[in-house]
Amino acid sequence: MDLNMSLVAREASPGLGLGLNGLPRITPTKTTKKPKKAVLFFEVEILDAKTREKLCFLDKVEPHATIAEIKNLFTKTHPQWYPARQSLRLDPKGKSLKDEDVLQKLPVGTTATLYFRDLGAQISWVTVFLTEYAGPLFIYLLFYFRVPFIYGHKYDFTSSRHTVVHLACICHSFHYIKRLLETLFVHRFSHGTMPLRNIFKNCTYYWGFAAWMAYYINHPLYTPPTYGAQQVKLALAIFVICQLGNFSIHMALRDLRPAGSKTRKIPYPTKNPFTWLFLLVSCPNYTYEVGSWIGFAIMTQCLPVALFSLVGFTQMTIWAKGKHRSYLKEFRDYPPLRMPIIPFLL
Amino acid sequence: MAAAAATAATKGNGGGGGRAGAGEAGGARKKKGPGPLATAYLVIYNVVMTAGWLVIAVGLVRAYLAKGSYHSLYYSIEKPLKFFQTGALLEILHCAVGIVPSSVVLTSFQVMSRVFLIWAVTHSVKEVQSEDSVLLFVIAWTITEIIRYSFYTFSLLNHLPYLIKWARYTLFIVLYPMGVSGELLTIYAALPFVRQAGLYSISLPNKYNFSFDYYAFLILIMISYIPIFPQLYFHMIHQRRKILSHTEEHKKFE
Repeated sequence: MDLNMSLVAREASPGLGLGLNGLPRITPTKTTKKPKKAVLFFEVEILDAKTREKLCFLDKVEPHATIAEIKNLFTKTHPQWYPARQSLRLDPKGKSLKDEDVLQKLPVGTTATLYFRDLGAQISWVTVFLTEYAGPLFIYLLFYFRVPFIYGHKYDFTSSRHTVVHLACICHSFHYIKRLLETLFVHRFSHGTMPLRNIFKNCTYYWGFAAWMAYYINHPLYTPPTYGAQQVKLALAIFVICQLGNFSIHMALRDLRPAGSKTRKIPYPTKNPFTWLFLLVSCPNYTYEVGSWIGFAIMTQCLPVALFSLVGFTQMTIWAKGKHRSYLKEFRDYPPLRMPIIPFLL
Repeated sequence: MAAAAATAATKGNGGGGGRAGAGEAGGARKKKGPGPLATAYLVIYNVVMTAGWLVIAVGLVRAYLAKGSYHSLYYSIEKPLKFFQTGALLEILHCAVGIVPSSVVLTSFQVMSRVFLIWAVTHSVKEVQSEDSVLLFVIAWTITEIIRYSFYTFSLLNHLPYLIKWARYTLFIVLYPMGVSGELLTIYAALPFVRQAGLYSISLPNKYNFSFDYYAFLILIMISYIPIFPQLYFHMIHQRRKILSHTEEHKKFE
């Protein structure tokens, strides 16, 4: 139907790709494919969203070309702007078009004007995750083994006499190993990349806090929890349950989305009891994550751990609220009982 | 830095008139200012603050004339200084509520840095109160604030005398470095006393496995001036060029 409309538009407006004899004009510039019939081609002009400067003119673009293909064409003339850092939009202040969007399905005439915004240098999510999680794993161990120049020299390579300190090391290391494995084998990312500066920001956060927590927990003057083994056992139980919960949610989310796709569906509880939290919250993975860190804080009775949990909770609540809002916008039949991150409360 | 930040970052406290500080792109002028009630409140706020800092200025002059020297003048203006500088915390609220178009984060940062110097350094470490460096930043702040609050007052009333605009965007050239020097010297003077008294510090071992060394913290604060102050200073210089030349052009066409 769109094709017919385009045909009418073409014939109605002379000089738009049609030569004097009414046949399509052959213009020797950028084309995607050779036409089989007299297929209508689009022209795409790309302007800078801020300066309105004309950056690129694409002649003879197939009507069913996707934004992804247009981005690839644009990269040819401006190689410094690889597709991942291009944001193309119909309106300079509007939302970015998706890679899967098809040109002829967009509300454009046969000459489409797209506005370009540079997203800045990009880095893949996988790279960021691996770096930001490998750091804490390694850094914590430096403190645990009391490598020189951290504590006084008489403590170099000594071992703590408190059981809870060894337990804490196992829990912390397990947590980050789990995260690394999930990044490699479980998660399916909607976006390939994020801005490069994020890796510095994120690593400072994770690595900094890991060092700060590890310093106190592994300190020679560390004080074990007030309520002793009871407290540690309870905390360990909370930690393990929440780790299993978090993992279950990650698996459930992975199964929602087939490999290589970017579809979004409402998550529902499965047979796994840990996923039943979906009945009450949109982002139970965050709920369990906070729970894990609260467990760890109780286990170590260490204020920096509690502060880390608080900061993490704040950030995850912001993310959960955003996700919850997206779900509500996208799905009319979204379960009304669910809260973003804390059942009934938040 | 507290001195620098205060002038640099706030568009704040109302002001449809001049371009008050932190980069708004030249073109887009959002005329979505505060309503009449909010404007009335802000005018009162800014007038009161102008008056307050004038009281401090007068207090300094009178104390100097009475004592015959410029040493230890802090004691004569200690109370109004604490009151009016702490009162500036309201400006964070103004941004949060939206009656002032500045960033909450930026405003918080600058007000908190001032409040930190007043309470966590000068008030807490009695021994520095007689230092000359205190006078240095108090004078810098006093002049800056009198100009800044009157700037906002006039802007809100849509009647900004060029002199005030000029003063705000010119005097900082001297007042910033002066204020920053005063602040840094004061913090530096406080260090040995903080070390001695273990002020605001917690050491291991303790029940919550936490420690805080206020002495090290103050040193970190001093170091942070190195990246922050030049940025704020050159931002103001940039603003100055933009705003004062803009007015010059307008005057030409009158």
